[in-house]
Amino acid sequence: MTQKEISEKIKENFPNAEIKIIDKKQFSVLVDKEQIIPVLAFLQNIDFKELAILTAVDWIDENQFEIVYNVFSYSHYQQILVKARIDRNNPKIQSVINLWDIAKTYERDVHEFFGIEFIGNDELKPFFLHNWLDLPPMRKDFDSLAYSNEVYGKFKEERDK
Amino acid sequence: MNELLTFLGEEDRYKKYELFFGPNHPGMNGNFSYIITVEGHTIKRVDPDPGQLHRGFEKLVEHRLWMQNISLIPRICVPEPDINELVYSRCIEKLMGVEIPDRAKYIRTIVLEMARISAFLLGFSAIGGSTGLYTASHWTIGDRDYLLDLFEWLTGARVYHMYIIPGGVRRDLPEGWIEKLEETVDYIEKRLSEYDRLIYNNPVIVQRLKGLAPITQEDAVKYGITGPNLRATGIKYDTRKAVPYAAYEYLDFDIPVQSDGDGLARAIQRREEFEISISLIRQAIKKMPKKGKVRLDMPNPLKFRVPKGEVYVKVESARGEHGYYIVSDGDTKPFRMAVRGGSYTAGLVYARKALVGMRIEDVALWMATMDVCAPDFDR
Repeated sequence: MTQKEISEKIKENFPNAEIKIIDKKQFSVLVDKEQIIPVLAFLQNIDFKELAILTAVDWIDENQFEIVYNVFSYSHYQQILVKARIDRNNPKIQSVINLWDIAKTYERDVHEFFGIEFIGNDELKPFFLHNWLDLPPMRKDFDSLAYSNEVYGKFKEERDK
Repeated sequence: MNELLTFLGEEDRYKKYELFFGPNHPGMNGNFSYIITVEGHTIKRVDPDPGQLHRGFEKLVEHRLWMQNISLIPRICVPEPDINELVYSRCIEKLMGVEIPDRAKYIRTIVLEMARISAFLLGFSAIGGSTGLYTASHWTIGDRDYLLDLFEWLTGARVYHMYIIPGGVRRDLPEGWIEKLEETVDYIEKRLSEYDRLIYNNPVIVQRLKGLAPITQEDAVKYGITGPNLRATGIKYDTRKAVPYAAYEYLDFDIPVQSDGDGLARAIQRREEFEISISLIRQAIKKMPKKGKVRLDMPNPLKFRVPKGEVYVKVESARGEHGYYIVSDGDTKPFRMAVRGGSYTAGLVYARKALVGMRIEDVALWMATMDVCAPDFDR
């Protein structure tokens, strides 16, 4: 299928989806967070079998998180960025582990760095950062300089004494 | 006394124990570890334990100018740093909507293929190292140095080149460099037959690799395994063909595939792609425009603003699909950058399935054939 056919098919099945063409082999689809599983299941059915990356973007000015599911098809050679926006104060979204097993690890990664909760994923325990007590570090309001001064500043003071 | 024996017997403490494979294990590549539960010497359970190499690149780039990041991002991937520069530069070029000069495209292709060859050589050395065949390690590391010499001549650095920049490449090829490259490529090709005799036709290595953790096609797609490991299962897909970048669309090459998907197939797949890389370098040298610009005029790096937008760009690295997802809000710094490392899924997710039932001594070999690289998950 060509890019046009795929985007028309998505539009047909999900009239609310906002489609934006990025280039010849890539486009993005913005949907409501309730629709994320139907859309991804639909794409998986038309041979978008690879989940290349699952990540999040912190739009702090709009008080929202954007979850990005990046899927690719080995037969249509198209990359689709499926996106959903969630409230920043209550960051919760349905997990997609039933569609992709590997989402378990990606969600664990995003949970640790953004503090987003994925409902249905039972493996959201700490992964990369050991004994982390501060804000999730990839959030825009986490100040890495202040953190480093607070945690390591006293070593520096002692060293410079 | 009897009571104690029963207790130990129930818990199976004589047989079952927990073992840290890495970060100080000689077979582990990178600061990463698998916590494995073994019974006898059969693995029963695997828990990857990343985080010891985590440097927070994704956060660091948000605090630096677009051009400053060029010196930072090659450090994400140690064995093959050039792919990071290319992906980053291409993200910026796509967001700006510019096309780079033709000569720069060919130079990029040559640099990328040289980097791929040096990454494959490191991979061969890992196979040698984890089977006790240290001759292979010494030979490949030694031959890789000839490529690093060329890199040093071209870019001034041996490992982190920072040569590919947004808009093209940093400077034109020095005089005499192409001739030296042709010489080196001829030498490396001549060495291939010796590698064959040493590694790929070596009965001990073949015995060890044959049937080592075979991957099925369904699993490979489901677990997001890409690159040579995917092609070793028989799926004919290569990003260089499907979503061409640099000058790959002008070059003529065929993608080799294997069918078994086991350790031997993965090793042989890399060996065959090695030849493809050599032929690509030769073709690129032949077809490259002899004169012309190698970089576009880009704005002042200190006031460089990339237009608003988002893009995901991926390349075919020696380990698989290496991609960046970059979001720009029109500022002088990237708004968000997410890295998809080539072996993220293989090393973190697929390992939990593949390593179960394997013997302890095969773990290092499995990592060598899958080309698991710790910086891919510990960005």
